[in-house]
Amino acid sequence: MTDTTTLAVAARAVGATKIYGAGDTEVRALDAIDVSFEQGRFTAIMGPSGSGKSTLMHCMAGLDTVTGGQVFIGDTDLSTLSERDLTLLRRDHVGFVFQAFNLVPTLNAIENITLPMDLAGADGDPAWIDEVVDTTGLGDRVKHRPNELSGGQQQRVAVARALAGKPQIIFADEPTGNVDSNTGAEILDFMGRAVTEMGQTIVMVTHDAAVAARADRVVFLVDGKIVDELADPTPEGIRDRMNRLGT
Amino acid sequence: MLRLILRNLVEKKIRFALTTLTVVMGVMFVVGAFVLTDSLRATFSELASDIASGTDLIVRTAQEVGGDFDRPPLPEDLVDPVARVDGVGQVLPAVAAVNVVIVDGDGEAIVPPGPPALGFNFRDSLFFLVEGRAPVGGGEFAADADTAARNNLRVGGTYAINGPIRAEDFELVGVFNFGSPDTNTSVGQTMAAFDLPTAQRFLGFEGEVLTIGVRVSPGADPAAVKADLEAALGDSYEVITQQIVAQEQEADFGDFINIFNWILLVFAFIAVFVSAFIINNTFQMVLDQRVREIGLWRAVGATPRQVGWSVIGESAVVGALATAVGIGCGMGLSVVLRVLLRAGGFGLPSGPLELRPRTVLLAVLVGLGVTVISSVGPALRARRISPIAALHHGYRIAPAGLRRRLITGGAVAAAGVAALIAGMFGGLGTAPTLALIGAGALATFIGINTVSPAFARPIARLLGRPMQAVFRVPGRIARENAARNPRRTASTAGALMIGLALVGLTAVVGESVETTFVRTLDNAVTADYFVRSTRQGFNPSAGFSEQVADDLEALDELDRVVRYRFAFGSVEVNGIPRDITAAEMAAVESHLDGDVVSGDLASADPPTSVALHVDPAADLQVGVGDTVEMTFPDNETATLTVAAVYADATIYGNWLIDLALWDEHFNRSDLAFASATIAGFSDDLDEAEQAVLLDRSRAAIDEALADYPTVKAENRVEFRQSQQAQLNSFLIVITLFLGLALVIALVGITNTLALSVFERTREIGLLRAVGMTRRQLRRSIRWEAAIVAVFGALLGVAVGVVFGVAATLALPDAFVNDVRIPWTTLAVYVAVSALAGLIAAIGPARRAGRMKVLDAIAYE
Repeated sequence: MTDTTTLAVAARAVGATKIYGAGDTEVRALDAIDVSFEQGRFTAIMGPSGSGKSTLMHCMAGLDTVTGGQVFIGDTDLSTLSERDLTLLRRDHVGFVFQAFNLVPTLNAIENITLPMDLAGADGDPAWIDEVVDTTGLGDRVKHRPNELSGGQQQRVAVARALAGKPQIIFADEPTGNVDSNTGAEILDFMGRAVTEMGQTIVMVTHDAAVAARADRVVFLVDGKIVDELADPTPEGIRDRMNRLGT
Repeated sequence: MLRLILRNLVEKKIRFALTTLTVVMGVMFVVGAFVLTDSLRATFSELASDIASGTDLIVRTAQEVGGDFDRPPLPEDLVDPVARVDGVGQVLPAVAAVNVVIVDGDGEAIVPPGPPALGFNFRDSLFFLVEGRAPVGGGEFAADADTAARNNLRVGGTYAINGPIRAEDFELVGVFNFGSPDTNTSVGQTMAAFDLPTAQRFLGFEGEVLTIGVRVSPGADPAAVKADLEAALGDSYEVITQQIVAQEQEADFGDFINIFNWILLVFAFIAVFVSAFIINNTFQMVLDQRVREIGLWRAVGATPRQVGWSVIGESAVVGALATAVGIGCGMGLSVVLRVLLRAGGFGLPSGPLELRPRTVLLAVLVGLGVTVISSVGPALRARRISPIAALHHGYRIAPAGLRRRLITGGAVAAAGVAALIAGMFGGLGTAPTLALIGAGALATFIGINTVSPAFARPIARLLGRPMQAVFRVPGRIARENAARNPRRTASTAGALMIGLALVGLTAVVGESVETTFVRTLDNAVTADYFVRSTRQGFNPSAGFSEQVADDLEALDELDRVVRYRFAFGSVEVNGIPRDITAAEMAAVESHLDGDVVSGDLASADPPTSVALHVDPAADLQVGVGDTVEMTFPDNETATLTVAAVYADATIYGNWLIDLALWDEHFNRSDLAFASATIAGFSDDLDEAEQAVLLDRSRAAIDEALADYPTVKAENRVEFRQSQQAQLNSFLIVITLFLGLALVIALVGITNTLALSVFERTREIGLLRAVGMTRRQLRRSIRWEAAIVAVFGALLGVAVGVVFGVAATLALPDAFVNDVRIPWTTLAVYVAVSALAGLIAAIGPARRAGRMKVLDAIAYE
């Protein structure tokens, strides 16, 4: 919280509300959320199942739309964008890392990494792409297809893809959810270095306190509302907060 | 188990509907073919007895060979002796002739689309007036109701009629229904009726009649009268009963109906065959998608046998439903076809639809049988799914090894080719030949389809290269997706492969025949003008009056006119009916050169000579100077000397006699064809002089032919063009085949893509999340379809060209001796297929585009 005034904001939500259904079956997945994600920081969103943490991420990333309030990536108000403009925004300004099935199986690793740029017909920054590819540590396996790579390697390729286009912000949804803990740690290191060394902005959804502790800041969500947050977290601190929130 | 099967189907409605659709199409054509022809047959059978019911007995010349219109007439003097026989109540002398063409009020000849143009004498027993009165005297005629209505002929109007001998003007005094008081059963024929003396004069029966109908007196026994008549008339004449007349009439109708039946059955065969591939493919894909679910069944205790039967059960439900729907659609198709045929000028009578048990049985065999058989393979594979599949995310059923595929497919294809060769050269009867060729084609296609996955991947990659270059990422994704599952790509392309193989085969044979034909014409044709009926090209049964030739011969501008007569199967040699051409032997070579290889036509004795093509000459082992026994329609057998043997059957047909001999034995004098040379024309003249002669002769001919709108004269260039145009008309048939194959292939591609898109939901979600626009996504799916379609088309064209060249080499040299492959046409077919692929993908592409990115990502 202390840095919000000094750092530029990569993405923010203002009174963001998401309602599913109507009448008796109405569900408020997001309830007038105000939140900002600063540039160059690694933020974790935590909360129990059904708290709306994934919905928040999807709405902020332009994968889903809010039913009320506004969401900004940089200065762009996502609620004013058409479906096509949203797609282009995702392609050019947002990076994604999903829990699983991150890569297009018919494309090899390097093709997956440059996919958003290729879709845009842009060349990207070759030196930067080389650097990103280097950091994956894949070596000559970059010409391999996803089914020839290990789970950890696949996730690193996914992170590299998110980084390659120098997006304004990267959203990661349980990026370590599908790999063993060693590999998970390796991926988190990789993401951490992307923030500290490359100055990237990452927002990560997780339910694992140990994972969340790798972030600079943790935001806690319960029933579609932000109920608390923690800067420079430790696993114990997070568990303590979670327990107090009654989850 | 049944409940599970049904629930599965209900949940996957679209997939179910698409699979069903392909089966429905096959069943529809089978049912449509039989319902239409059965209904027509039933109606015609009724008509035949109606037509026959006007007379009890018919007296006519006994005839062993030749068609009805070649039957020698009876002397008119025979009518009185017939009438005097005991028990004969009423005599109805009849004459009839073909090539009696009415010219409508606008000066246009009324030309039936295929059936003949007939002339009769008017008889109350057969012609039922609906307007006006019966024709009386030399200047009147009546027309059948359909001809009158379609061509706006008005009672009271005067119309020219081109008869077999000359053209005359007649006043239309009546309009009638033929055969039955309620419906006109002219079946697309045009009919003009005159009173008896006029018909005899105009149709060429001076002092003669074709048959004498007899009505027995009340109380007389027809059988007894028949016996008395036979005793009175002797052996040269026969007396037939009403039943025989009806049967003969029915048989005539039957020939006409069988043509439709065959065409529709060929369509049905293609539809069913192609559907089988699509069904098999669909069940395979559905199975791949349900692996986890089936693993779960296995985990909770279903036996492999139960799993296998559940797949078969599902196909049985699809097959049963498709059969039911297909039968309904088939009935609809037969109604539509009847309407179309009627619109096309074939006046088919209406009547109830006949759905015979045999038709239903066939529909079930086709619909249920094909579906269930197509699902046997997938069912066997389903049995191999282990319970582990339920737990394991990436579980795949191991596909059959490439090696095994190559060996099995190669063996099946080789067996198919062997059967084809045996069928073509085995010299077997018609039925076993067709069976062998059909089975051979089937096995060949299945074999090729089994082998084709082996090269689907490299070829799909190759075909996708330009798309990747043009469309970048969407092109790349299209290319990779097309190459991703070679088995699926190959079987989806299978439908197009079969269609294009048939089309390619026909195109190669057609082009080769055309080339040979045109070259032969160029070599053989020396006359300057060719006179023929305006009815579709060189159609020997569409003749014209001999007077046309007389009129042309009278022109100073023309040198010489050669006349040609023709009859199908009207003479017999060695007990086999033969087509016969007649022309003036001494002159014919100077107009059309048949390439005589031995003997001499010019010096032949006209009434006792015959010339024949090298093929029958070789078959009968006769040469110049040998004799041949030929039986004519008048039952006389003549011993003819072979005067010449020629190599080119395009011009003379297989058997050629002189006009003098024809006139002795045939009562028909209409011409099939005539050719003429220009007076004073020679290659020594300079161009200007030639042009003057050409213009003058053309003007003179046009004036002479003005009275005969059914006849036209063509110069050498026009003649060649019209002959080519006629050969091209069978391109229409090819196009129909292509159209049908494309429609079914379209369904197949749509089906496969819909399932593939469904299968790739997560991948599509991912692509959309990282920034693929809807347009890019749709584009990638469309081009994937295009790659698959082009793969199938190329495969089909390759197979078609190989078969086409083989068939061309197998055909007798007289038809074709110059193998030509129409590359441009084939390229167009491939391009059309690609377009069809793009169209087929529209639906699945849209569906993929509409997928919500989030749902797609979350899809398990």
